[in-house]
Amino acid sequence: MTAPLLEVEDLRVTFGTDDGDVRAVQGLSFTVSEGETLAVVGESGSGKTVAALAIMRLLPRYARIEGSIRFRGTSLLDLDDDGMRGLQGDDLAMVFQDPMTALNPVITVGDQIVEAIRTHRDVTEAAARDRAAELLDLVGIPEPRRRLDSYPHEFSGGMRQRAMIAMAISNDPKLLIADEPTTALDVTVQAQVMEVIRRVQEATGTAVMLVTHDLGLVAGTADRIQVMYGGRLFESGDTDTVFYGSRNPYTLGLMASIPSAVGRTAHRLEPIPGSPPSLINLPEGCVFGPRCAFATDACRSEPELRVVDAATGHATRCHRADELPALIAARAAPREAGA
Amino acid sequence: MLAYAVRRVLATVPLLVLGTFIVYVLVAVSGDPLAKLATCNTCDQSAFDRIIDLYDLDKPIPERYANWIVNAVQGDFGPAVSYGSLDAGALVLERAANSARIAIPAFLIIMAIAVALGVYSAVNQYSRLDYAVTGLSFLGISLPTFVFALLLQTIMIWMLDGFGWRPFYVTGMRTIELDGFLDMIRSHVLPVITLVLVLTASESRFQRAAMLEVINSDYIRTARAKGVPHRRVILRHGLRNALIPMVTIWALDFAALLGGSVVTETIFAWPGLGPLFISAVTQLDLNLTMAIVMLTSLLVITFNLIADLAYGWLDPRIRYE
Repeated sequence: MTAPLLEVEDLRVTFGTDDGDVRAVQGLSFTVSEGETLAVVGESGSGKTVAALAIMRLLPRYARIEGSIRFRGTSLLDLDDDGMRGLQGDDLAMVFQDPMTALNPVITVGDQIVEAIRTHRDVTEAAARDRAAELLDLVGIPEPRRRLDSYPHEFSGGMRQRAMIAMAISNDPKLLIADEPTTALDVTVQAQVMEVIRRVQEATGTAVMLVTHDLGLVAGTADRIQVMYGGRLFESGDTDTVFYGSRNPYTLGLMASIPSAVGRTAHRLEPIPGSPPSLINLPEGCVFGPRCAFATDACRSEPELRVVDAATGHATRCHRADELPALIAARAAPREAGA
Repeated sequence: MLAYAVRRVLATVPLLVLGTFIVYVLVAVSGDPLAKLATCNTCDQSAFDRIIDLYDLDKPIPERYANWIVNAVQGDFGPAVSYGSLDAGALVLERAANSARIAIPAFLIIMAIAVALGVYSAVNQYSRLDYAVTGLSFLGISLPTFVFALLLQTIMIWMLDGFGWRPFYVTGMRTIELDGFLDMIRSHVLPVITLVLVLTASESRFQRAAMLEVINSDYIRTARAKGVPHRRVILRHGLRNALIPMVTIWALDFAALLGGSVVTETIFAWPGLGPLFISAVTQLDLNLTMAIVMLTSLLVITFNLIADLAYGWLDPRIRYE
């Protein structure tokens, strides 16, 4: 087995503020292999976007980044700005959350894609335009050649996100980081954009790191899922394992709060009570403890992330991971009986 | 675009009529041109009659205004009584040209310095230079114009005392035709510096704010994520957007500069529109006052129109229909 494409080890990101240090990411370690799709899931403030921006080195200068990020063997945090720029938009590309604001309003879509190409490839303007038209065609924008001369405001939200994706993949990246790529879009358009990402991945073989708060969105897309909470990794494993054999109360809470269009709708959605912790004043012990239905005295000390199934690499951060299936069954039983 | 421009130009007509009417009425009711003659022993009835006839003082104000505007649109602004009955329109144009001699170079320098300082401050927010620029800007905004002007003059006079020589003249306008190139420069420098000091301060603050808003926007992050070099991110993606809100400020400031700066021109004894306006008002010279008002209104309206059209050119989201 070759080294993974991306290796993040003990990543810590801290923002110094007047109110104290905001510890946005705390000791995050994970890998992304070539061609795979990793979904990073969590609520707002779980540190998933900050981690993505840290990998891209797009965080503001005042952010303190510690740990190590290795991409194809290169330590990204040790690269100088020029070296990093050589990777940004080339082997390492990113799609942002809000397509309404992520494209420059005064430059045509075509010129923005051409710029992405010509920053990294020594090609003529005409060749870059041909390539840009191909890319728009690939992401499903009709009449791509004519659309090159459109400005972003002449595109709908979905089309803008398609254009963003086209721009991100213009140099055949090895890793495409998509930060909440569908959050700002209509539900009907969300599925289309996910389909575009899938198609793009097939066409280019890129690995995708999909950052989202929407577990439902990743079910059909991701190879592996990584759940984050309070700047920490809470659970990681194969998509099926996490969906059907989760050993973490937070993951289970997330799944219980997904509305379902099919099946029984008799019982109410179960939101996770409370709100995510302040990253300045994290709770003692398990950061999810104050919101957790299964918390006990043991949870006053912070649990380690530990592997529960070495074969699939399923890991979770919970003191009661082993008892959890029994606890869930016990809780579900009265409700089943009552219904 | 052309239709829009034509419509905008036509819309200025009622604006000008309304504006000049208000000023005309205000000036007309603010003093009696005959009052000065009341203590004149040598003046006979014919002098009174001449003034009454000149300003139609025996007619109601709206009728006086109507007569004035009919002549004004034909280019006849009447005689400027306080200036030896010279033609008011010609006098104003001549003085406006003098104001422009310092306004245009000052404005070009202001734009260049303000854009550079604003962009640098924004990109290096909270750096030492940013703090220095901020401090100096507030100094420039807070200190009245005459402080700078007098300070500059004082420095020249010190130099004259100490070395028997000064690089720049402290008063008066010298032209290339009458005094040669060098003297022209030496007389223009101090008023230009004064105008630059006063306006650069506020403009660089606006530029900094506009640039700050832009460089914290998502599309700048997108450009960085593409690996675009820093300079290009700042200039092509950042400045291009940050200049859009500046257009209005430039247009208004430039129109104001061309309309003459009262304090600066007065201190440097510059024969521009500023001192002319003060003397026209204090001497109740109605024709002269109105000619100046007409010109400054036209300047403001014209530069606003230019700014609006420039918006459409700079920002593709704006379309004129």
